[in-house]
Amino acid sequence: MKQTLVTGNEAAAWGARLVRPNYIPTFPITPQTECIETLARWSADGELPGTYFDRMESEHSVMSAAVGAAAVGARVFTASSSQGLLLMHEVLYIAAGMRLPIVMATISRGLSAPVTLWSDHNDFLDQRDSGWLMFHAENNQEVLDMMLQAYRIAEDPRVLLPAMVNMDGYVLSFTDEPITIPSPEMVEEFLPEYNPDHTIAKGRPVTVGPPVLDEYTIFRAQNHVAARNALEVMEEVMDDFDRIFDRRYHLVDEFMLDDAELVLVTQGSMSTTAKAAIMEMREEEGIKVGLLRLRVIRPWPAKAIAEALKGAKAVAVIDRNLAPGRGGIMFPEIVETLYHLDRRPLVSSFVVGLGGNPQTEHKVKEITRKLIDDLETGRPRVEWNDL
Amino acid sequence: MYKIRIHGRGGQGAKKAAKMIGLAAFKMGKQVQDFALYGAERRGAPVMSFVRIGDTPILERGYVDDPDVVLVLDRTLLDLVNVADGLAENGLLLVNSEHDPIFDTPATVKHVDATSIALDTIGKPIFNTTMLGALAKFTNIISIDALNWAIEEELSHYPKKMIEANKTAVQKCYEVAE
Repeated sequence: MKQTLVTGNEAAAWGARLVRPNYIPTFPITPQTECIETLARWSADGELPGTYFDRMESEHSVMSAAVGAAAVGARVFTASSSQGLLLMHEVLYIAAGMRLPIVMATISRGLSAPVTLWSDHNDFLDQRDSGWLMFHAENNQEVLDMMLQAYRIAEDPRVLLPAMVNMDGYVLSFTDEPITIPSPEMVEEFLPEYNPDHTIAKGRPVTVGPPVLDEYTIFRAQNHVAARNALEVMEEVMDDFDRIFDRRYHLVDEFMLDDAELVLVTQGSMSTTAKAAIMEMREEEGIKVGLLRLRVIRPWPAKAIAEALKGAKAVAVIDRNLAPGRGGIMFPEIVETLYHLDRRPLVSSFVVGLGGNPQTEHKVKEITRKLIDDLETGRPRVEWNDL
Repeated sequence: MYKIRIHGRGGQGAKKAAKMIGLAAFKMGKQVQDFALYGAERRGAPVMSFVRIGDTPILERGYVDDPDVVLVLDRTLLDLVNVADGLAENGLLLVNSEHDPIFDTPATVKHVDATSIALDTIGKPIFNTTMLGALAKFTNIISIDALNWAIEEELSHYPKKMIEANKTAVQKCYEVAE
């Protein structure tokens, strides 16, 4: 199939264009700007028929407008990064609680202060408990593919939750890579028109998001159940995606895990570099190391993760994020997931690549060697790599 | 894998040059990746962009710290930035300069006066595309044909005259580079 050279931002814009959204409210922020610039250009050139492209005064307004539009049954897309995503935070819970399947591309950038324009995952992971479905792409092809999948999963009547598709700023957002852009016909077959049952409409008054008393817990529980349902829906959607587009995705990305004694757990673009390092270490040094990439963060695919890691002797959780006073954010999640296994691997924590510090093959190899040491001493470690 | 690092100043088109090289190599059937460091960079400040070219999908990401070719769009950077940092010993340092920059590196050093060529052909100091003619001359990673295609693709929203002038500049640079 024909490939095109596009940046991650353009891949997200292509995803948005192909799903034929009704409404795109926007506010610019580095490194997301190019994504909405691309959509603005297409809109001005008449290439987004049926889409209202809106420029707003802040990210809080963007997400509020997204909620309003989705509540009347519009298919909505938006994108943000970093401080902008944080400004949306309050409204994110409302979108999830009102069960509105908005899809947003998030382009990860570290948070202030001090200011960085480069990527780490604190902005994205800060939304971890908001009730949104959360996906994290490794490369530009997956950015586009995840966008299409996100709409299918989010709009499924068993789910009806908003979804975020994350990519690393700069390393993907501003990097040209060859990708396959599917035809509109294929996308239409995969993702039909959005026709929700419960919307605010003329002549059909309904109340959404009202004050409640003890029913509150029921609504929260429904949110939780819907998110758990999404795991099953995802399996179906990924099968269907493979059938139509001939690209296979799973709940987790397993790389050379069959005989792996050491496993690196990663997220996002650094996984590509880590895979290259793993192939070299296997070939040159015979080290039995593999990789598990977390591509679905919410809902948490605990079973798939535990299954993938059950043969490992030692696991390194590589976090490109930090919860000050706690450590890497994904580390405790992985430890908890493995706690009930009959034979638990040793789990070490590495905080790497904050504020865009390069995540190189060299660092991946260093982490792997440390993991070998940990296995020998029998003691896991918690470590920062860029100090 | 073949790696290129471009040094320029904000506004000189280092990003565009990387994109053009990427497009040309992509047109020639290669796997490519190109990107630029930008964000807080401003007009006139030293900037960098990068291209990786290979026969198989590119797995390395981020800065290129061990380039095979370094392209310097502005020779005043030679005193400011260690442009040859990590450059392969059998690599190429190609500088936009009217005279030999005399630079101490085991790599091959070449120069071409892309600014004058651009002023003669385009009428403006657009030396980022112009210099790529010399890159095509000294390496076999991109051809003039593929470069012409990349120029048409990347400048498609410019007037036809501008596209043709860029192509002429690239051809001229290819011819005079030695």
